[in-house]
Amino acid sequence: MRGERRSSARGQSVEFADHRNYVAGDDLRYLDWNLYGRLDRLFLKLYEEERELPVTLLLDASESMGFGVPRKFDFARQVVAAVGYVALCGFDRVRVSVFPGRAGMLEELGMGERALSQEAIATEALGSVRGRKSSLQFLKHLGLLEARGAADFNASLTRCAMETKQTGLLVVVSDFLDPAGYEAGLSALISRGFQVHAVQVLAPEEVNPSVFGDLRLVDSEQGTMQEVTFGRYRMEAYQSTVRNYVQRLREYCTGRGITFFQVVSDCSLEELLLKRLRESEVWG
Amino acid sequence: MKFLSPLAFAFAATIPVVVVFYLLKRRRVTRVVSSTLLWQRFLAENQASAPFQKLRHNWLLLLQILLLALAVLALARPYFSGDLSAGRLQVVILDGSASMRARDGKPTRFESAKEEALKLVDGLRDRDQMVVVLAAGVTEVRQSPTSTKPMLRRAIRESQATDSPTRLIDALKLAETLTKDAVGAEVHLMSDGGTTDLAELEDKGMKVIYHRMGERGSNVGIVGIDVRGHPDDARQRLVFATIANTSSNAVSTTLELLLDGRVLEARNLSMEPRSTVSQIFNATQEQDGYFTIKLNHADDLDVDNEASVVSRLPQPMKVLLVTEGNGFLEKALRSVPGVALGVVRRIGAGKLSADVVVMDLPGTMPWPEANALAIRAAAPGWFTNAVETEASAVVDWRSAHPLLRSVGMETVQVAKTLAVQTPVWATSLVEAARTPLIFAGEYERRRVVWVGFDLYQSTWPLRISFPIFIANVMEWLGSGTREGGASTIHTGGSYRIPASESGGDVRVRMPGGEERLVRVESGEKEVLFVETTRAGVYRARVGTNDYVFAANLTDAQESDLWPREELKMGKHAGVTSTTVRRADLETWRWLAAAGLVVLLWEWWYYHRRTV
Repeated sequence: MRGERRSSARGQSVEFADHRNYVAGDDLRYLDWNLYGRLDRLFLKLYEEERELPVTLLLDASESMGFGVPRKFDFARQVVAAVGYVALCGFDRVRVSVFPGRAGMLEELGMGERALSQEAIATEALGSVRGRKSSLQFLKHLGLLEARGAADFNASLTRCAMETKQTGLLVVVSDFLDPAGYEAGLSALISRGFQVHAVQVLAPEEVNPSVFGDLRLVDSEQGTMQEVTFGRYRMEAYQSTVRNYVQRLREYCTGRGITFFQVVSDCSLEELLLKRLRESEVWG
Repeated sequence: MKFLSPLAFAFAATIPVVVVFYLLKRRRVTRVVSSTLLWQRFLAENQASAPFQKLRHNWLLLLQILLLALAVLALARPYFSGDLSAGRLQVVILDGSASMRARDGKPTRFESAKEEALKLVDGLRDRDQMVVVLAAGVTEVRQSPTSTKPMLRRAIRESQATDSPTRLIDALKLAETLTKDAVGAEVHLMSDGGTTDLAELEDKGMKVIYHRMGERGSNVGIVGIDVRGHPDDARQRLVFATIANTSSNAVSTTLELLLDGRVLEARNLSMEPRSTVSQIFNATQEQDGYFTIKLNHADDLDVDNEASVVSRLPQPMKVLLVTEGNGFLEKALRSVPGVALGVVRRIGAGKLSADVVVMDLPGTMPWPEANALAIRAAAPGWFTNAVETEASAVVDWRSAHPLLRSVGMETVQVAKTLAVQTPVWATSLVEAARTPLIFAGEYERRRVVWVGFDLYQSTWPLRISFPIFIANVMEWLGSGTREGGASTIHTGGSYRIPASESGGDVRVRMPGGEERLVRVESGEKEVLFVETTRAGVYRARVGTNDYVFAANLTDAQESDLWPREELKMGKHAGVTSTTVRRADLETWRWLAAAGLVVLLWEWWYYHRRTV
């Protein structure tokens, strides 16, 4: 199926892409006779193949994304909605993969049948969307999603890489705060051939905590506890820790050709979409 | 090492309490967060950068335990036994004179002196001893040598300044006695230096540290008061007052004269800086009473702004002449104004009602209980060998003595006289070549004028000087008899109150209104009242008799409030005031306070991390 998105794959179109040496068996219609006249050598003209671009949007809907004012999950949904909408308008096929998986988890949580059916249906519907006309439905289904449950980041990304038949653009929107790390998951995506973009969404409270004193912190997903004595005088040290963590993630991504963005959920969405993503040529 | 208070080790029980506090788990607030991942990293990184992170709490614990242990040790008052040299002796002399009540101290000079003395007590080392002496009209040892600081403090705090003139000599002599053989002894004199009587201490070599009190000399005071009869009108009295302005500014004020508390006259008074003026008031007095001069001027010293003088109307003096017949003498006595003369041939046994007895008869006899003019008469024991001899001419006489005022002896010849030695209690007034002709003195608290020759054996009764001498004698003997001559005393002085014949105690009402009861032993004829440290009018009641007397400061030196920079001790020695206090101030309190501050800071720092 052809789309309007220019692909790095070479094919038949009116857009000239490159030359290559002629080898036996090539279609003689694409020989560049002008070059033959000048250089006395046979070159074959290559054209860009215009086809539809599979856009995969990996949305972290784990419990940890439900924190922050505004919520990280809301911000993440807005990013997914924006990227998805642009893709749909370009006649690309959009697939939203929500992790952790909804169906089994909803049953485990004992949710009501209606909520179960609605979120499961929305998740299912977001599995494959195409065409501008579907954009409204796409946005509606995104709105039905909620952040809950514990996610295994690496396993989720690896499963996504395995399940996807056609690689293309892939945007991971998550907080990347998994105790098991993020390397295995991102590595699986890269090896599968995805053009990966990573958006890390952190809450303002995670960057600049406002709770002080003798604390017993409970991890929302893992349920583990951590005792901390925290005061304003240790704020700088904490922020340094956050910066180091983000920097390591950025370096990991950059080293593997992954475009990386770090945002705080109270920052301007327009800034991210219209400036930073455009500058990074996530879209033209 | 031994301990004075071993029971204080019981406080060591607090050390486990501190440990328990550390062992107690701190109460933590539970918060659900998105992920603890960042916090784990944060803790890991910070612990990694602080190698003693885990030990930090333990260091605090150790420090606190150490501090507590030291405090417990200090409370146990450890000491070492050993041969220790004796501590220094410090004698603190508090000048309690009137000028020390000047209000240019904190709030008075005396209070400043006490404050200074208390600082010296604070600086006293363990083995040092201190004596507290209050030098006022009477020198009083407020605290004998001791190292016990509470006793010294109490003695200093309870000391009060008086209205007496400065008299430091007794206190310094006492200090000299105390410090004579003491090594390193010091005498701390807290005074304004208003004294000039220290010449005796010139060669004593005493180590005196003079702490000068006072800042200025702003004062106007009454430095003299007297009352006399008017020479022309017996009902009129003349009150003399001398007022000194010791300040460096001109002063305008008012001066009031009061009789028994009633204002008789008020007049304005203007005085130049550092000047003295005399004022004479003329007042009519109907009965005995006391005059008060009051200065309405606000200055640093109140006590010299008021002075009183007791004034009694003149009474006829009863004179008893004992003679075989002496026309010259009788005539001369009758010519003295105010004399009621009685003449007898022989003095009888029993109490005399006369104020003055004139005995014109030779020989030794029991002495009458009155002031006496004795012509050849003597009491037993006056002379060892009195023989009549021919007298040479009068060779010398004391013309400055009140008895010889306007009396010239150059034309007097004496044929025969008793050759005697002047008794120790008397002063020779007129002398021949080998014997006194006339002497005077006080014998058994009675005034005596003795003439050694028979008047008929001399040319004196024919000379003008004789009636003048008799008049002088009557005035001198009379002033010593009639109560009132000594009814005005200086503060700190003594007043003789005649005891009642029927016995009974003496009640004295003080200027402030409080009463003092003075016990009178049986047989005592008079009581010496010395508690006159407050200026004002005192009223003594003895049986049915009332005696009024006044105590005044009236001391020009005391009213001059300018503090002296140097205390002169004779011509060559002196002590300059010191501004640097030599006090060994203990510092352990400051160190303990610093320790407490450190402990509080540590506590604050520890808890700040959780805020």
